[in-house]
Amino acid sequence: MSEMNTVRSNGTLQLINGKKYRGELVAGETGAAFYAKGQKEPVAEWHYARMNRMDNIRRGGTTSQITVILKDDTRYVFELAQGLKLYSHMDKNWADKPVKVKTRGDILHEQAERLGEKIQVPKKHLMARRHPNRSITGDVIIYLLLALVAVAMLFPLVFLLGSSLKPLDELFRFPPPVWPTRPTMDNFSDLFVTMGQSWVPFSRYLVNTIFITVVGTFGHLVIAGMAAFVLAKYDFPGGRLFFLLATTFLMFASGVVTDIPNYLIMRRLGLVDTYWALILPAFAAPIGLFLMKQFMEGLPTALIEAATIDGAGRFRVFWSIVMPNVKPAWLTMIIFSVQSLWNNPAGTIIYSEAKKPLVYALQQIQGGAAVNIARTGQVAAANVIIVAVPVLIFIFSQSRILETMASSGIKD
Amino acid sequence: MQSQSFAHRYLAMRRDKIAHGWTLAKRNKGCYLFLAPYAILFITFFILPICTSIFYSFTYYNILEPARFIGLQNYTNLFLQDEIFLTSVKNTFVCAVIIGPVGYILSFLFAWFINELPKWLRAVAVIVFYIPSIGGAAFEVFNTIFRGDAYGWFNALLMEYGMINAPVLWLTDPRYMLTIVIIVSLWMSMGTGFLSFVAGFQGIDRSMYEAGYVDGVRNRWQELYHITLPSMKPMLLFGAVMSITSSFNVGAVPRALCGFPSTDYAARTVVTHLFDYGYTRFEMGYASAIAVILFVAMILCKKAITGLLGRVGT
Repeated sequence: MSEMNTVRSNGTLQLINGKKYRGELVAGETGAAFYAKGQKEPVAEWHYARMNRMDNIRRGGTTSQITVILKDDTRYVFELAQGLKLYSHMDKNWADKPVKVKTRGDILHEQAERLGEKIQVPKKHLMARRHPNRSITGDVIIYLLLALVAVAMLFPLVFLLGSSLKPLDELFRFPPPVWPTRPTMDNFSDLFVTMGQSWVPFSRYLVNTIFITVVGTFGHLVIAGMAAFVLAKYDFPGGRLFFLLATTFLMFASGVVTDIPNYLIMRRLGLVDTYWALILPAFAAPIGLFLMKQFMEGLPTALIEAATIDGAGRFRVFWSIVMPNVKPAWLTMIIFSVQSLWNNPAGTIIYSEAKKPLVYALQQIQGGAAVNIARTGQVAAANVIIVAVPVLIFIFSQSRILETMASSGIKD
Repeated sequence: MQSQSFAHRYLAMRRDKIAHGWTLAKRNKGCYLFLAPYAILFITFFILPICTSIFYSFTYYNILEPARFIGLQNYTNLFLQDEIFLTSVKNTFVCAVIIGPVGYILSFLFAWFINELPKWLRAVAVIVFYIPSIGGAAFEVFNTIFRGDAYGWFNALLMEYGMINAPVLWLTDPRYMLTIVIIVSLWMSMGTGFLSFVAGFQGIDRSMYEAGYVDGVRNRWQELYHITLPSMKPMLLFGAVMSITSSFNVGAVPRALCGFPSTDYAARTVVTHLFDYGYTRFEMGYASAIAVILFVAMILCKKAITGLLGRVGT
């Protein structure tokens, strides 16, 4: 880091565990370092390349975290505390103007200038645009295309919501309106009346679904988390092979291929017509194991080794060090697990009416939707309820899921 | 002499390797303990079913009577006598060939386009594109949209503009059924793979693009081919695996939209055929044979795609 281009600033660095350092941030061309007050060696160093990477995710709205690489190559995720920005001494108005980080193009340009060469990259052009290789026409076309497709993607959902709010006369008007002129909640109240006529009370279906979803998801988190932990962090014979197998089974996770033999096995085990027929396979869902393992690989091994040296048992390490550090992955696992459990009507494996999940009960309403014209509105209302839960969960956790999916690749 | 000593050395090496593995395994005993609960469940509910399928596919088994070994008869019946199965294979093939590659390429392209949007718009776009695939039963709304009478939205639209005179039975006319199944499946194809792509794009080091620009990359397509694709390879593979699943597992959509069984079996796919024999007729042996064929087709497809993707960007 040459003295010429460094930038210094006082600030606070906050670790994710709440530990705070006051001190000075020194930023240079390729990276930056943070010196705590009174210490000669930097507490932390990081590189713009890596910072950009995290910064990209941050711009996606996730978090204001940066990954910092310490001298001994351990990695920590830091939170950028409020007020910590890069300010320049050289600039007169440094107090309110963050420094622009130099791009590689800039640096190359400077080098060329120093050597007296002519570089063909016009500097202004490179700096003026965020994306150097984008034509305006292309951008416009892409925006239009995206808008068009987004409308096409949304239309059926809007139509569904519209139908559920339509009063009876508007459901059968020609031409059918997409959105009702007089929206009403009648369909929803009718749906609850219809559901109330079943000899199994509505609340029973709800309790079934909640029980299956909560137990299935929690067990999946712990069991798949434990397996992912050892697969990601220890090298033991058979581990790699097992993971490869689990990766292959990502393809069969939706259960069509394994559905019928699964039924036979459940019968052998005496699990048909119990909640466990849904819960136990959910524990072992390969997608959760896969995502968790890939995400855990990003955790610094030093973190685990340090704890092991401190005398923590493997389970302690797993439970109090690894698991708290992979929260985005948890959330993703929870969402995929809730989605699949919530959407599973389990029609083939649970027979007793009193044990059926909510989705099955709602789908019974639409039994023969094509014939049962009278219930068109109620069917739409039931579908809105079925769709709403996973969609709402996704909307609220979208950024965390994307953070996890960043490590979802399959390396060969 | 030479070869003998070579064989000897080779055997010694194997022995060493096994011994080394054994010590490694002993040292990491705890790992197996951690893996065990998952492994047991995984083997019971994922591996074992495949083995059971293979076993029952050589038998006649209707659950009531004990399974009776009949050799390859299920398979020969499937291919030589069951015309509906051949229809279902044809339909599944058409679906897979369209939904798989098209859905895959579309989800990649849209993830790429979305990545260029400002951050708040990107979040909205991800949600809009992903919702159809998580919304479980959301696709059932197409029952109303493509309804066969004049109150169906699509029929009404076409009649308004005078393109048709009488309502078309979109969901029960064999001419249109498969097309509609494919359209609906494409609508749902922005799934987990799509999310993986979006995240992958955001994870690419921006300085690589700047370096690329300096090195002579001049437009977005060159950038895509030379920089983006090679760094996205792991996500591409993940997305491919996910799209194999969705393209072969077309079953719920035709069942819910076109009825089960559908008119003239025009929307019959391998999956609905499997359901028919498994859960309506309880011919488990026959159903298992269908499952095995599906399993083998998916494995082969994955092999081919892995090989293909290995060449991307080189």
